[in-house]
Amino acid sequence: MTAPPLALPRPAAAARRGLAARRYGAFALRRSGQALLVIAGAYALVFLVLAAIPGDPISAQLDNPQNGYSEAEKAQIRAFHGLDRPVPVQLLVSVGAALQGDLGTSLSTSQPVTALLGAAIPSTLALAATALVLAILLAAVLGLLSRLLPEGPANSLVRALPAVFLSTPNFLIGLVLIQVLAVQLGLFSLVEPESPLSTLAAALTLAIPVSAQIAQVFITALDESAGQDFAEVALARGLPPARVVVRHLLRPSLLPTVTIVGLVLGEVLGGSLITETIFGRSGVGTVVQKAVTSQDVPVLLAAVVLSAAVFVVVNLVIDLLYPLLDPRLRAPEETR
Amino acid sequence: MSRRPAAPSRRGVLQGLGAGALGLAALPLAGCSADGARADGGAPGTAGTADTADESELSFLISNLDGGWVPSQSSISSYEANVWQQLTDKLVHTSADGVVSPWIAADWEQDAEAREYVLHLREGVTFSDGTPLDAAAVVANLDSWAVGRPEEGIARVGLFPGSTYAGAEALDALTVRVSFTAPTLSFLPTLGYHGCQLMAPSSIALSLEEQSDLSAQIGSGPFVLESWSARERVRLVRREDYDWAPEVLGASGPARLAAITYTVLPDDTLRASAARAGQTDIAYNVNPQVLDSFTEAGFVIEVPRYLGFVHGYSLRTSAAPFDDVRVRQAVTRGIDRAEILRTVFTDAWEPATSWLQAGIPETTDLRDTFEYAPELAASLLDEAGWTGRTADGIRTRDGVELGFTIYPTPYLTGSVPEAELISQHLGRLGFRVGIQKVDIPTWAERVTNDPTQGVAEVTRSFVDVGTVAGVVTDEGEDWFQVGSTDAELVRLRDEVAGAASRQERAGLVEELSRHVLEQAYFVPLEQNVQRIYVQSPRLSGITFNAVAIPSYHAAVKEPS
Repeated sequence: MTAPPLALPRPAAAARRGLAARRYGAFALRRSGQALLVIAGAYALVFLVLAAIPGDPISAQLDNPQNGYSEAEKAQIRAFHGLDRPVPVQLLVSVGAALQGDLGTSLSTSQPVTALLGAAIPSTLALAATALVLAILLAAVLGLLSRLLPEGPANSLVRALPAVFLSTPNFLIGLVLIQVLAVQLGLFSLVEPESPLSTLAAALTLAIPVSAQIAQVFITALDESAGQDFAEVALARGLPPARVVVRHLLRPSLLPTVTIVGLVLGEVLGGSLITETIFGRSGVGTVVQKAVTSQDVPVLLAAVVLSAAVFVVVNLVIDLLYPLLDPRLRAPEETR
Repeated sequence: MSRRPAAPSRRGVLQGLGAGALGLAALPLAGCSADGARADGGAPGTAGTADTADESELSFLISNLDGGWVPSQSSISSYEANVWQQLTDKLVHTSADGVVSPWIAADWEQDAEAREYVLHLREGVTFSDGTPLDAAAVVANLDSWAVGRPEEGIARVGLFPGSTYAGAEALDALTVRVSFTAPTLSFLPTLGYHGCQLMAPSSIALSLEEQSDLSAQIGSGPFVLESWSARERVRLVRREDYDWAPEVLGASGPARLAAITYTVLPDDTLRASAARAGQTDIAYNVNPQVLDSFTEAGFVIEVPRYLGFVHGYSLRTSAAPFDDVRVRQAVTRGIDRAEILRTVFTDAWEPATSWLQAGIPETTDLRDTFEYAPELAASLLDEAGWTGRTADGIRTRDGVELGFTIYPTPYLTGSVPEAELISQHLGRLGFRVGIQKVDIPTWAERVTNDPTQGVAEVTRSFVDVGTVAGVVTDEGEDWFQVGSTDAELVRLRDEVAGAASRQERAGLVEELSRHVLEQAYFVPLEQNVQRIYVQSPRLSGITFNAVAIPSYHAAVKEPS
């Protein structure tokens, strides 16, 4: 993640803003170009790796002796799916189709890949977004408490919680939540994994370990800001601690916190696979998992491109957010 | 898609607590928890939190519906077949004991050579879109089962006798003639097999990608699709004008249940928990080792056995040490099957009596060929020259250790603990038995398609016993890698395959089976149960067909 270099403020505000916008645009464009390259690279890499591994769902079905297909039948069906062509040709055809928005057909279910992923994305999005919000809330509460609680056992507990959260496996949290909330209290039905309450429970499962990382960074950043002169001055002036935290410490602490939020997004998406499995949700994670075990190449490719795109976009958004959060990063580079 | 909010009543919460105690305890240790469930005063299976909905609706939890909905690919799956069975009908019904009876085909004739069949169809049957299920529709279905459209990626139904299929023609609106190039006794029973379901001609004509949409698949069954979402849920509702159930099942008219909802919950433990919490009527496939706790809590466990081969190991004679008949016999005699049944499974599992499931009419009791006899096994190994011993007790011959590797089949939940027990049994005789767990694609590669791997685990259903002729030699699947070197096997294969009457064939099948077991080409373990249905005791009227797939046409759910 590269931030634009620091620069000194310049007096002519309007000219500065015009120059800044231009530089900003060039920067955004360069970053987007890099993003596309990353996605294309991921696509080709996954394709070639999968081509190197023997086997695919079609052949697995065709070669099963139980079905007794003749060689001619096998050849015809493989040809229909384009599996008889050399790998480089298959890659070219696949890229060409993908560029036109056609992600192909799942080899194991014959469904269009776009439909398959399209059906799974809302579920994962709901889970990931809820989890992220919960994680940020949890981390914010922990962070603020760490500064506001007087030194003592309660404060130590708050500061120790992130480490506890981080070392508790996701699946354990999930199983406990299921047993207590669903089975014992009947608060949600296991048969309806996409219901709001079930989603909330799943999101909490995912949010707890993720919040720990955000909280750790947030607490450290707050501590650091608190040690700075301006904060000590503010306290010396007799401002109430809560006010100092909100007015003076929060803003400088947000930059590293936002960065870590961006980084943990990967955790949220990765963790959603496990969480989806525990709660029986059918999201992108389960689609990918099935595609891996059955070597369903078109589905895997689309999923890889999707996750690469999400990562790249998130990083891009964070890079573009920096100048908005920190005025020091907003000014243009000195060119003369 | 149905959205039934789970409103927790006081009773539901209490029962949830009781069942929850059961659920928590049952994760690692199943046995001691039933009292907790009874403590709340009601049988946990009889009520719950979620099935407070319509009493005539059935909720079914299944581990996956990932195979898609292209009929020729997914209708033989042990998952999707559950749904297909309610949506479609078949020409004949083949019962759990192999008896063929009329369904959409009301009557039929076959010639003396079993090369030509004439089917007379039932009148007035329609698909759910209103089109008639007539002779033309049946011909279209027969062609799709026997030939498919491989150039469009649509495979034929692998189990249908396509290699001898000559063609079908409509003689009139309700009469179809089917011809074969050679005697094909398997034709009629195969019509009751799950791959051969009748679809509307408009569905058959769809492209591969269009076929993957379940809502485009029109059948004539007692239920029709209301909604579905991929990998998540399928909801069926009763067809009000349905009136052509197989007579032998004893119920006519429309189904009694108004709707069935299949929900995908991939995790074993989760399905079990949901069942215990009373949130579903049926949970499909839970770990056999936790079944006792369900029985004690009042659930009904259905473990229908299908027609086919028992669960067992086929030994490949091309791989050492199985090139020696005495070693093969020592393996089959060295396994304590009674202990396996006691330890790995529950009382619902039955011992194997042959390499064929006991429900097959042609099966005879051949247990004398593979009964547990450790002394005999040891002396066979001595005779075969495996008389040396390593420091840890493994037999050797000319410096070579006696041993092999089992790759437990990923298709059966009990297969790993079973292999571990067998490894102990054979270890006592001086075998070193390795066990490697692998996933399905790896299993296909390392075992199914690799003849140098000596042990191939078999779990396999069929409807017609003639199948045995197709697996024993290289004119077929060559399970034992004997090629055509065993003259007796070749003779029996030809005679079974060429038989034109079932009586004549039955005697030949017994001869063939005895030969296979005496040669210890096949090591039977126990009768195969691939499908486990944990059911609420409120359900009745469920029937199972020859391949252990349930029909809910006559099913009833009592109010709680």
